[in-house]
Amino acid sequence: MKPKVAFFDFAGCEGDQLQVANLEEEILALLGHVEVVNFREVMKEQSDNYDIAFVEGSCTRLQDEDRLKQIRKNAKIVVAIGACATIGGINSLKNYQDLDDVRRTVYGDKAQLFDTYAARPIDAVIPVDAYVHGCPIDRDEFLHVVKSLLLGKKPEIPNYPVCVECKKNENVCAFERGEFCIGPVTRAGCNSCCVNEGTKCWGCRGLVDDPNENSQKEVLIKYGLTVDDAIKKFRLYFGWQERKK
Amino acid sequence: MRVISKEDFDSFVSSIINDDSLNVIGVKSKGDKFAFGTLESASDLRLDYDVTLLPPKKYFFPQRETLVTYDVATGFAAKDPADLKSTVMLGVHPYDIVALLQMDEIFRETKSDPYYFEKRKSSIIIGVNIQNMSERCFAPQMGCATIENGYDLMLTDLGNRYAINIGSQKGEELLEKYAKNVKDALARDVQLAGQKKQEIMNMSQQEFDFPTELIPEMLSKTYGQNGFWEEHSEKCLSCGSCVLVCPTCYCFDVKDDPDLSLKEGERIRTWDGCMLEDFAKIASGENFRPTRPTRYRHRYFKKGKYLFDRFGFVSCVGCGRCSSNCLPDIANPVDLFNDMYSEVLDMGVEIDAPAAPEVTIKTEGDINYVPKLATIVKKTPMTDKETLFEIKLDDGSILNQMPGQFVQVSVFGVGEAPISVSSSPTQKGTFQLCVRKIGNVTTRLHMLNEDSKIGIRGPFGHGFDPEALKGKDLLFVAAGLGIAPLRSLLNYVLDNRAEYGRVIVLYGCKEPREQLFGDEMVALEKRDDVEFKNTVDWCPENEVWEGNIGVITTLIPQINFDPENTYAIVVGPPIVYKFVIADLKKRNMPDDHIIVSLERRMKCGVGKCGHCQINHIYVCKDGPVFNYSDIKGVPEAL
Repeated sequence: MKPKVAFFDFAGCEGDQLQVANLEEEILALLGHVEVVNFREVMKEQSDNYDIAFVEGSCTRLQDEDRLKQIRKNAKIVVAIGACATIGGINSLKNYQDLDDVRRTVYGDKAQLFDTYAARPIDAVIPVDAYVHGCPIDRDEFLHVVKSLLLGKKPEIPNYPVCVECKKNENVCAFERGEFCIGPVTRAGCNSCCVNEGTKCWGCRGLVDDPNENSQKEVLIKYGLTVDDAIKKFRLYFGWQERKK
Repeated sequence: MRVISKEDFDSFVSSIINDDSLNVIGVKSKGDKFAFGTLESASDLRLDYDVTLLPPKKYFFPQRETLVTYDVATGFAAKDPADLKSTVMLGVHPYDIVALLQMDEIFRETKSDPYYFEKRKSSIIIGVNIQNMSERCFAPQMGCATIENGYDLMLTDLGNRYAINIGSQKGEELLEKYAKNVKDALARDVQLAGQKKQEIMNMSQQEFDFPTELIPEMLSKTYGQNGFWEEHSEKCLSCGSCVLVCPTCYCFDVKDDPDLSLKEGERIRTWDGCMLEDFAKIASGENFRPTRPTRYRHRYFKKGKYLFDRFGFVSCVGCGRCSSNCLPDIANPVDLFNDMYSEVLDMGVEIDAPAAPEVTIKTEGDINYVPKLATIVKKTPMTDKETLFEIKLDDGSILNQMPGQFVQVSVFGVGEAPISVSSSPTQKGTFQLCVRKIGNVTTRLHMLNEDSKIGIRGPFGHGFDPEALKGKDLLFVAAGLGIAPLRSLLNYVLDNRAEYGRVIVLYGCKEPREQLFGDEMVALEKRDDVEFKNTVDWCPENEVWEGNIGVITTLIPQINFDPENTYAIVVGPPIVYKFVIADLKKRNMPDDHIIVSLERRMKCGVGKCGHCQINHIYVCKDGPVFNYSDIKGVPEAL
């Protein structure tokens, strides 16, 4: 029997599910192996009977935890997809601000009606079996993760920084082009897509397991960034990971 | 020497580009930098470049390369022979040519790498002498700024014309076929070319404080200077930039890439590097080079000492790429070695330049990356984690292994893992693998049923030597899964029992339910010609154990042996070696009477990919079985 697959979203832009929907031909090949029972972006049917749950978005409210826990209970395998779900994502920027201010900024005089707490990746709430990092996710990596799960193996997600892919792709280093890049501490797996296009790495895939952040900050400052700006560079995506330490 | 005007040289380049039977690669600009790429027009060629981002090795040892294709229905196959046009590489600097000559030696040692050499043999190298030297280049100091061989043609810019040195018949023929108005060099051309080469020797902005011949010896003296290595690697990002851009780095990883059918796919190799955090990490999670200083040190030792001892050359050509690509700027070999020289002076030790070792590189055939198809004929679960698999090769051949050797086991779409053979070669027709469910391949292997197909490569490595042990008393010490490789020798000895002296077996595991080969252990205990003792580290309340409780070393005082006539064969996790060997030595066992088997990450099985290297030793080739006396001085071994 084909494994049943469901997609869920929490605080996020749903851009990762859009990446999946955009797989087009490959998605048809995947449908030979799985049955999709929940996918709000492409179908209206819904079901609580599923084996693999793909969860997008971060958890930003206490009451969302129950829904996440229910998904964990229903699914055999939970896969976090996208930076918000895997590392907390840019939502975690609010963790550096006063949460009441944040609510008032967003909801104005209705702020009291809307709860909030520090944004966090879903593995801060439930155990997660696999990750598809990125903002948005890389389609090839999504396919790699799905194929791995179907073959009964742990997906091979790199634990080396983006520099490895930049070097293999023979990119001119972003620093040499006057950009401030945080690829040297960011987990690879995106095939250095942003630098390939002539820009820099923002860190959307999160930190490698053992990043040398002090050295990276020194590099940023050596190339002309102020200490404050260097710290801000890290906050854009690493907010949750940094504060957890 | 010949000369050609620049105009005629451009026409020469245009005519080789226009010949569809040739693949023409040349140096082109890329942003403010330079890179080798397919040449579409003679005007794109930049022979005045300083250094390219990546060295030309990417054409012979690409970033990603298919080794094997597979189809669950039919098995494994060698990749289709590449559609290999002759490749003309235009504008290779001498140091990069030296690097290719070094790679040739590395890729042909012991077993030759067919994928590297198919591309290498069909290439024509047109070198160019350096016109502009990059700021970090120190090729002159490494003796690699100019060369007399390794090229098919070599160009020197003489202003309005190029001097051409002919390096091979292939080069000469290319010139004859495509170039017009090539003339013999006049005396003044020869003189001018010589002068240009002389100028190159003074172009480097880098400066060594000592003769570079001292490098291997300096390294030897500073291995244990932990403070030195910690200080120099403190800022290391473990980003691998230094090794990935290196023209002589050749480490690789091997992975399976299934297609969307999940039934077919390819096995690929990709560039890897010893500076990356997980390089020496094995499936159990153990990392044999877990810290920045140890990885950083390993890189310099590999370049300056291990390869020097093995091949007779320091594996650095002075291109300066590692140095210019390191963001925290800690990878300049010139700075590192100058600091090392000061360190050695501070230590007050004498250093001499070592004579280059006498080396003969032998090649015994090609590496075969294609596994043989095999069938799981029997699957016997032994514990929660370990299963004994009995395997038969589908082509009817026998494995023909030595006890202690290992095979690479392939599971379709998942990959390859090294597993020691558990059965004795006296068992004919099939062989056994005792496998712990721990990584991707072994976990998936456990999900396969009898009659399932897998792939087998090997046997690999250096095993036990049952001949040399004949007539001796044997003390087998196995801890945990260590019984798996050890059993291959034990069973061999039992099958030839009369030829050996006493057989003593000590076997320990964590708790009773983790005991492997339980029935065989009971049988051993009953034999008159075997002295058997076993132990568990502890016995939980719900399990039964009537024997010894305590770690494996608690069994050693319970036995007597004559250290002069006894050989100890010890296999277990790293911690066991430390304590068992210490206890055996206390009982006067000579070092060369202790034999061990080591576990490391092994990808290629033939001493190429670099993962299993412990200091200068390759576990997959020189081991996994070692005499303790050979590795006791190897710091990374035990």
